[in-house]
Amino acid sequence: MSTATAAAVLGVEDLGWRPASRREPTLSGVTLHVPAGQRVLLAGASGAGKSTLLRALAGLLDPEAGEITGALSTPDRPGERGLLLQQSVHALVAATVARDAAFGPENAARSRAQIADTVRGALSAAAVDVDGEASPFDLSGGQQQRVALAGSLALAPDALLLDEPLSMLDPSAADAVHAAILEAAEGRTLVVADHRTARWLPHVDRVILLGPGGRILADGPPGTVALPAAELPPPPRPAPGAEVAALEAVAIRRRGGREILHRDLDLALRAGELAALTGPSGSGKTTLLRVLLGLEAPAAGRIRRPERERTAFVPQEPEHSFVARTVREEVTASPWAQDEAAAEELLERAGLTHLAAANPFTLSGGEQRRLAIVAALAQRPRLLVLDEPTVGLDDARLADVVALLDRAREDGCAIIAATHDERLASRADRTLALPARPAPDRPVSREITPVPHPRRTAARACNPLTLCAVGLLAAIGSFGVSTWQIGVLGLLPVLLLAPLAVPGWRSAVLRLAPVLLSAATLAWTTALLSPLAPLSASAWLLGAKEASRITLFVAPGVLALASVDVTALGDALRTRLRLPGRPLAAGVAALVRIGHLRGQWERILAARTLRGLGSARSPRVLASATLALLVDTLRGAEQQALAMDARGFAEADARTVALPSPLGRADVIGALVGIALLLWPWALRLMIG
Amino acid sequence: MTTTTGTARTRYRTIDLVVVAGIGAAFGVAFLGYGALYSLIGPLTAAFKPAEGLLAGIWFLPAVIAGLVVRKPGAAIGAELIAATLEMMLGGQWGWGTVVSGLLQGGGVELAFALTAYRRSTVPVAVLGGVLAASLEWVWERFAYYPEMSWGFAIIMLGFFLVSGALLCGALGWAATRALAATGALDPFPAGRELAGADRA
Repeated sequence: MSTATAAAVLGVEDLGWRPASRREPTLSGVTLHVPAGQRVLLAGASGAGKSTLLRALAGLLDPEAGEITGALSTPDRPGERGLLLQQSVHALVAATVARDAAFGPENAARSRAQIADTVRGALSAAAVDVDGEASPFDLSGGQQQRVALAGSLALAPDALLLDEPLSMLDPSAADAVHAAILEAAEGRTLVVADHRTARWLPHVDRVILLGPGGRILADGPPGTVALPAAELPPPPRPAPGAEVAALEAVAIRRRGGREILHRDLDLALRAGELAALTGPSGSGKTTLLRVLLGLEAPAAGRIRRPERERTAFVPQEPEHSFVARTVREEVTASPWAQDEAAAEELLERAGLTHLAAANPFTLSGGEQRRLAIVAALAQRPRLLVLDEPTVGLDDARLADVVALLDRAREDGCAIIAATHDERLASRADRTLALPARPAPDRPVSREITPVPHPRRTAARACNPLTLCAVGLLAAIGSFGVSTWQIGVLGLLPVLLLAPLAVPGWRSAVLRLAPVLLSAATLAWTTALLSPLAPLSASAWLLGAKEASRITLFVAPGVLALASVDVTALGDALRTRLRLPGRPLAAGVAALVRIGHLRGQWERILAARTLRGLGSARSPRVLASATLALLVDTLRGAEQQALAMDARGFAEADARTVALPSPLGRADVIGALVGIALLLWPWALRLMIG
Repeated sequence: MTTTTGTARTRYRTIDLVVVAGIGAAFGVAFLGYGALYSLIGPLTAAFKPAEGLLAGIWFLPAVIAGLVVRKPGAAIGAELIAATLEMMLGGQWGWGTVVSGLLQGGGVELAFALTAYRRSTVPVAVLGGVLAASLEWVWERFAYYPEMSWGFAIIMLGFFLVSGALLCGALGWAATRALAATGALDPFPAGRELAGADRA
């Protein structure tokens, strides 16, 4: 060991870590050295401290968030130790795949030419098989994980530290990511934390089994370390009951699109049965669940399901459904689950009685999953619908969930679960397998390009700063409107120029509708509340002046902004105005994940309406949904910050950006338009005012 | 009480930046769903537009929550600016006016935290932040949107703004931050741990 220690690149010595929010340390007295080039598997149950130990090995424990004792080696340069997280979506920071891979080199303040080279190499080394201009947020989990791998490789790490990188993936995606990781790890140190060990054992030199507090229970070559294995009881074999739910020749569409994903889906589910809905991610499992729950209509076919009160749903993220302050209140939160005695019995069955007074959000992942399930069972559902109920759970926690589901089946509840976990799918009485969508097999581009937009406008030739200036100058100009005649004439050039900024009249009307509605309201308000006689002719003319003025104030900006892309704006603010790089990059990273955030918001609202807690318009539901969205955001932020720091963001004050922010002839024209819009109302005032 | 040096108190960790931006973006998304709240007071505002001021405080929530959580200069104004930028980018009805509002609302809340040198996360500070934000927003709306409104009505609108700023931004924002702290989601932040302390013990 002593020679190995001398060559160690990663190591902790008598390490202790106590998060500032806890009294007890989560790691204590851990000593571990990993020599350069070694491949290590960290095994152990959830909660043993695998993730924390990985953070420590990565040199990313935050001294402001807890107390560190002992010694740990720190990286000599940013990105020396690459880190991959369980949920790849948290690692994403950019609007395109190639820009995401460029994040690390940008933090290291490389030149544009260097960044382009590095990104090409990293995307290819991580076997990313989508175009560089694709949005990483639209990709499947497996592809996202490879994008995250590329992001690490772009900084030429000496070591790769992986925190359950496969646990959220379907089997074929897990195979692909596994292969990509092993290939990328060639010649590097590798530390993988995973409670599912079989896939890694043939490829590692060393297995370390962690117990509570990060205590090392066993440490040796594979085969010498006995790994705990949990046996599941045989699934119940219910006597065939009455039909509870059925799909008949159902067809579903991709969300928000017209394309038919699948046709002629049939399924009949009887009381006490478990149906598994399987298929790789992106195959439409979630869409089919939404159709089954009545959240959207099928493209064709018929669906039978129990009444709303007796159809319960558990989302993939249990936290998305939580609304109460305590575990006990959570179980009876739904108006369809008011039986207190039954709730106590369910808590007991789920082993949560000792946590009855705790805040649901503070439970561990496995406990939260069980709580969400018993809260659903408290509705005494005839049909229980679950989205990936076992994803990420280790064998012991899986067994707890399975026991709850088995018991519900014995009571006659029919269950349908969307799942890619074979451990659960193998217990099902029926399986509905959605086939994979064939991936287009073609060469991909790995170049860094601006964010693509489906529809072109003339205004896109301008720098985003120019477009912002046009809107601001026109807004200032609008204060020159002193009569309704000036206002109406003032709007003429805006109408004439609008086609340059939007792809068509339809789009212009769509963007301007809220503006015009507000202007009309302002006209009414002014006619009513000005010092003139309310609703008199002169008051209405004053209102017309105000409406035209506010339209001139707002419309040019709204139209110009239709052609502004957030990423390009961030680049322009960095290169042209030299704004501080880190806050800017954090802001852009937040704004490019809006699509993801809106998806979370919809899931959170749906989980509430399906529990009968009220419509999406009720203030109570909006308040609790906002809290859940904030919790989701804050938890994601912790992971995102970790992933960003592993890519050298903490010290990236001098960061560069991967693309230029050109100013050209179009910007001269844009500037002239802006000045003209600024002066026009004042000129009119001189002429006719 | 842990001691921190001056730079540690103002230097932004990555998580501070990501949380400020994230709170702004999350509210930007939630605000899209809040339009429904206006229909609740619809009959009132149709006849008397200034009554909309009763809900004004809701729009300053990102600033007060980010300020209470991160407690560093710029957190409040940064979160509000992100929320406003998002609203503007998604085609909000006031265009650049939204960003001006975001700067003034965030700036008002920021001012309250700055007055305590970013050391206090109490209800009075949050309420002061809401009131200052409401005042600045009122000045801007009076100037840009309602210059022709008579002074009498404008003063009534100011009253609505101040009440709303104090209650819906200040008190509600503080309560929301405390509820967030109780979930454990604020554990990486000293402010979150302090607020959660009472509930956990």
